[in-house]
Amino acid sequence: MKPSPLLILAALLVPVTSVALAASPAGIIKVRHQNFEGMGRAMKGLFDELRKPAPNFAVFKASATVLANSAPRIANHFPKGSGPESGLKTDALPAIWQKPGEFTAATNRLVGTTQALQAAVASGNVMQVSKAAGDVGGSCKNCHDTFRKPR
Amino acid sequence: MTATTDRAAPTTRLWDLPVRLVHWSFALLVPLLWWTAESGKLDLHKNLGLVMLALVAFRLLWGVVGSDTARFARFLEGPAAIRNYLAGLRSSDHAPVVGHNPLGGWSVIGLLTLLALQVSLGLFAQDTDGVKSGPLNYLVTWDTAKALSEAHEVGFNLILALVALHLAAIFYYRVMRREDLISPMVTGQRRFAVPVAAPRMAPLWRAAVCAMLAGGLAVWLSTGLALPWDKPPAAPPPPADYM
Repeated sequence: MKPSPLLILAALLVPVTSVALAASPAGIIKVRHQNFEGMGRAMKGLFDELRKPAPNFAVFKASATVLANSAPRIANHFPKGSGPESGLKTDALPAIWQKPGEFTAATNRLVGTTQALQAAVASGNVMQVSKAAGDVGGSCKNCHDTFRKPR
Repeated sequence: MTATTDRAAPTTRLWDLPVRLVHWSFALLVPLLWWTAESGKLDLHKNLGLVMLALVAFRLLWGVVGSDTARFARFLEGPAAIRNYLAGLRSSDHAPVVGHNPLGGWSVIGLLTLLALQVSLGLFAQDTDGVKSGPLNYLVTWDTAKALSEAHEVGFNLILALVALHLAAIFYYRVMRREDLISPMVTGQRRFAVPVAAPRMAPLWRAAVCAMLAGGLAVWLSTGLALPWDKPPAAPPPPADYM
């Protein structure tokens, strides 16, 4: 399929605008906060739908897409200088930059579980979606336990 | 309140068993709820919060149908009574108050109101991950739940402030007025220097009915207001150890 010129333009513009927004530590923090906030919304949407006797798979699909698209961005959302040393309001812990290997492993785990969630949604099996949604929640917690300021 | 340590003075039954049990459960649960929230033990926090909700609901019912000293109508007084009571505190010959004094009564109402507000907010609250949440969280949007979760945090600070005032008042009566308020809350008995009319105690079966109503409410809320004819959810909630 030939990609439309509009799609190409959009694809080119997304990184440009992201970079423009992310130029300052304040911008970086804002962008990553919105990314996490979107993931939180998607998680709530997923779990609210799982409560229903007959869940709508379109809702599962929309939430899983948001999660799978947002998860890989996290790796680029924590450049040096965007932690608490910036003096800005952030729950990011210095551990992110002190243990980069562990942090990458944690974000990779999230990317993996969100992809597995998409596969579970595609299978059409509610029980599989429930299990995969729980696994995504587990990888949120896994990272938050070490790399986010405790509440 | 004029009390005495005089062994000859007759003891008066002041606080019934339900009032004392609820009071000491609050004293135990408030720190436990704080600790479970701070350490991220959110499943335990939710369950203890539902116990707290049942206790608050019970105490509100007991304030209407309970023993004399538990009833709101018996201890809620207007500003004039509070002024008189405060003036009496400065003189030594004031009449004893059997039960909550006019100022203490409002402290009880303040604490119960805050606890009721706090458990209500908790029903809608959510963790930042959107995974662990109160049983009624599904009824509101993410943004509403976020605002309510923030109010849930503010609510705890308000409770802390009133608890501090409560403890300061107990300390004041102990040190400045040589009145022990803690022992009567443990034993239910208190000695008064002058003869006082004994408060009427409500029968325990009435407490049992209130406890069943309050417990039933908490259980029903924990199901997210499920009705018997509702179909069950398509999938069980994820295991407890995820958050």
